[in-house]
Amino acid sequence: MLKYVGKRLIYMVGVFFVVSIILFILFNNVPGDRALNQVQNLRGKVSDETFQLRYQEARDKLGLDDPIPVRYVKWMGNLLRGDFGYSSFYKKDVIDVLGTPLLNTIQINIMATIIALAITIPLGIHCAVKKFSKFDNAIQVLTIVGYSMPQYIIALVFIFIFAVKLGWFPISGMNTPNFQGTGLAFVLDRIHYLALPVIVMTVASLGSMTRYVRAAMIDALRMDYIRTARAKGLREKVVIYSHAWRNALLPVITLIISWFMSIFMGSIVIEQIFQINGIGKMYYVGLMNQDYDVALAVNMLYCVITLISNLITDLSYGIVDPRVRINK
Amino acid sequence: MKMLKHLFGKRDKELDIMQEEAIQSPFRTVVRNFVSNKLSMGGLVIFLIIFLIVLIGPIFNPIDLSEQEETQINVGPGLKMLDVPDELAGNVKEISTGSTFSVGLDNDGNVYVWGYTKVSNRIDVADDMPSKDELGKVVSVSAGFDHVMALNEDGEIITWGSDRMGQCQLPMEVKHEKIKQIAAGYQISYALSESGEIFCWGNENLNDVRLTRRNGNSNIAKISVANTTLMALTEDGEVRHMGSQSSDISKVPEDLGTVKDIATTADACVALLEDGSLRIWGKANKSEREIPEMDGEIVSMFGGRYHITVLTDQGTVYSWGSNAKHQTDVPKSAQNVVAIYGGTYQNYAVTESGEIVTWGLKGYLLGSDELGRDVFTRILNGGRMTMTIGAISVIISTIIGIIIGGISGFFGGWVDIVLQRLTEIVSSLPFLPMAMILTSIIGNSMSENARIALIMVILGVLSWPSLARLVRAQVLAEREQEFVTAANAMGVKKGAIVFRHIIPNVISVIIVSATLDFAYCMLTESTLSFLGFGVKLPRPTWGNMLNGCVSSVVIQNYWWRWVFPAIMLSICVICINMIGDGLRDAIDPKSNER
Repeated sequence: MLKYVGKRLIYMVGVFFVVSIILFILFNNVPGDRALNQVQNLRGKVSDETFQLRYQEARDKLGLDDPIPVRYVKWMGNLLRGDFGYSSFYKKDVIDVLGTPLLNTIQINIMATIIALAITIPLGIHCAVKKFSKFDNAIQVLTIVGYSMPQYIIALVFIFIFAVKLGWFPISGMNTPNFQGTGLAFVLDRIHYLALPVIVMTVASLGSMTRYVRAAMIDALRMDYIRTARAKGLREKVVIYSHAWRNALLPVITLIISWFMSIFMGSIVIEQIFQINGIGKMYYVGLMNQDYDVALAVNMLYCVITLISNLITDLSYGIVDPRVRINK
Repeated sequence: MKMLKHLFGKRDKELDIMQEEAIQSPFRTVVRNFVSNKLSMGGLVIFLIIFLIVLIGPIFNPIDLSEQEETQINVGPGLKMLDVPDELAGNVKEISTGSTFSVGLDNDGNVYVWGYTKVSNRIDVADDMPSKDELGKVVSVSAGFDHVMALNEDGEIITWGSDRMGQCQLPMEVKHEKIKQIAAGYQISYALSESGEIFCWGNENLNDVRLTRRNGNSNIAKISVANTTLMALTEDGEVRHMGSQSSDISKVPEDLGTVKDIATTADACVALLEDGSLRIWGKANKSEREIPEMDGEIVSMFGGRYHITVLTDQGTVYSWGSNAKHQTDVPKSAQNVVAIYGGTYQNYAVTESGEIVTWGLKGYLLGSDELGRDVFTRILNGGRMTMTIGAISVIISTIIGIIIGGISGFFGGWVDIVLQRLTEIVSSLPFLPMAMILTSIIGNSMSENARIALIMVILGVLSWPSLARLVRAQVLAEREQEFVTAANAMGVKKGAIVFRHIIPNVISVIIVSATLDFAYCMLTESTLSFLGFGVKLPRPTWGNMLNGCVSSVVIQNYWWRWVFPAIMLSICVICINMIGDGLRDAIDPKSNER
């Protein structure tokens, strides 16, 4: 097992560097002069010579005249030391810009995951046990609809129903503007604002999750030990929840991990629609305003998330199914 | 090609029923299984219908990307703009057309309003119409952009509708004048007194009007409202521009002579000269200058937004100018006409028998958007774009996936290891962020067509890994089969074995995967366009049509702008997913048990 983990880790690091090189080259081919952007506000205020001097200083500082490999090594070194660059849009270091949004995104994702699991697991189990019943068939059709609808359409429909027509939730934002309350009042206000995005994210993920849980559960229910358990005369509840579900749980856990990671990317749309100050919004704003240091940092973060989720998935497969380890 | 023919082509040998029952090719079994699945067949039928509509529709509804029409903004769905009330038939005195509605007056002094009368969120010119007692016996009506004016036999002017710019605030001095003509314009009202003086009230900042004596505000016989200015005809047959700013329309030709009548389109003016000929000046670049040959003398004329309609003494009607909304398609039934009315995009002709013949813009089937563009046309054209991008991306990703998966699976060894790592790298690129970054960095400096091609390539290049893995696994399994050994023994080239012997055997898996990928690519494209990183406006796709719709005002009041594209996209993707699911079940009946 240890050898397997080591091998996967080495792969992961290798892939990480390849991806980072691709991204770095991409971002360095962006048209526009970043050094000029930094000293733009000095133009006209100082003499031309001083301006040229400042401009050259900025170029040197950014290392724009170095060959690409040198710049990559420098950038990578900074990255590994936790220096993600400077945001030209927020006029701050990228690391300071991204802190709060990252926390917000994680918050929302955890909430959405918990709610989605609370719905999909019982639903999936029920559908698997009562497979091909009318209820199950209806749910099957609904899940196709669920995973076919893009998130933003679900968001529009939910905004229409719950924010515009019923007026239960605000349409966008994270807090009431100029909200003064602290402590519990603040938390409640925040929950009130984040409820709708979380609901939309949950609903958007119900379809595929339910299908997956159902499939895993059906596989588990088909096993011989279930027949044995039933033959022993165990109560159906015990058979389903104790024998079958525990075995179906392992593939589901794998799914949950990779899914939890993937909603980081999905939250770009949700954060944009609901104007939530999250990591996806940062990415969007960064790209829209040519603030490429922020965009690059977020993109690297996404890559790391994907790689880690791939790693965890692989490892958990290894734990669940020892044959995977031997084959590799 | 040969492979496809081999798979789907008609067999040469006809089988009778008994034989067919006995031996059935796997492909036929799949088709039969698929056809018996009601859900997937339903999905297939609906998808094909949508597909044909968006394929053929744009031919009949071509899109004009530069289209912008301020008078047609956010019009709700419906085709009632030409629905003249029955009470008006045979009894018409006057009809005047505003932006999206028309006002009619019968000989008994009753006023009727029809068309899309909801001129803003709160104001409906039909509901706001004063009662008959308040109106009295009306002798003249005029419809403006968002308000209506009526003149009754007591000489009183009554206005209703939007009053945001004071266009319903009748000034005191007008109340004492005897009025002979009223005209409602773009948030402005005009009245012409018997003494030949014009009065105006409303949005005088937007409209270029200067009504001073020095500017020629005296001895006026008739006024005609252009888009944001006013033209007047004096009793002596002189045409005057009643504004102060110089523009195309203000340059009245000096050699007109005596003018008998004038009419205005949005930015051009037409004058009927003494000798019966017409002269046009102003901004008339939508073929308004192409005056047709006419028999008989012109007796009456009016200008729409971009077209002109005239009536001759022979009772024949001629329309020319822009025909984008069919406003110049004079119907055959418009014979022996005695009077014509209209404006904007509508035409009404009253025949000798009293029948009212209409032609022009009926309305918008699915409404219009924030720039006055027809949502239906945009859905058709946008659908074609979304589907084309989805289809081409899938073709790209399928080709890459088959090649890489096939080579990787068949050859094994270091080739396999290298390709596997490549697959791993591509699949660890986060899909949506990557697509966003690529279109924004590479696509920024590209032309729109190159951008669209780039989006197809990006989607294709980023989405092949899953198919490659699938093909690799299938090829690994097929590789050990006897027919491959036989081909090997016969000395068939390696490449030929993979792509001509093995791949056709795993084609079913590929088709299922491609179908589901198609849905996925369409979704990604629309998400990208929705975020503003895909196809850019004004070129429509189902995704970017929803781009400007995330605000409570649009979601609630202009629901047609987001509901229809959203429904089309959702139905389409749902159908494709159902087809994919059905195909998978048909190919592998065991998977149905899951």
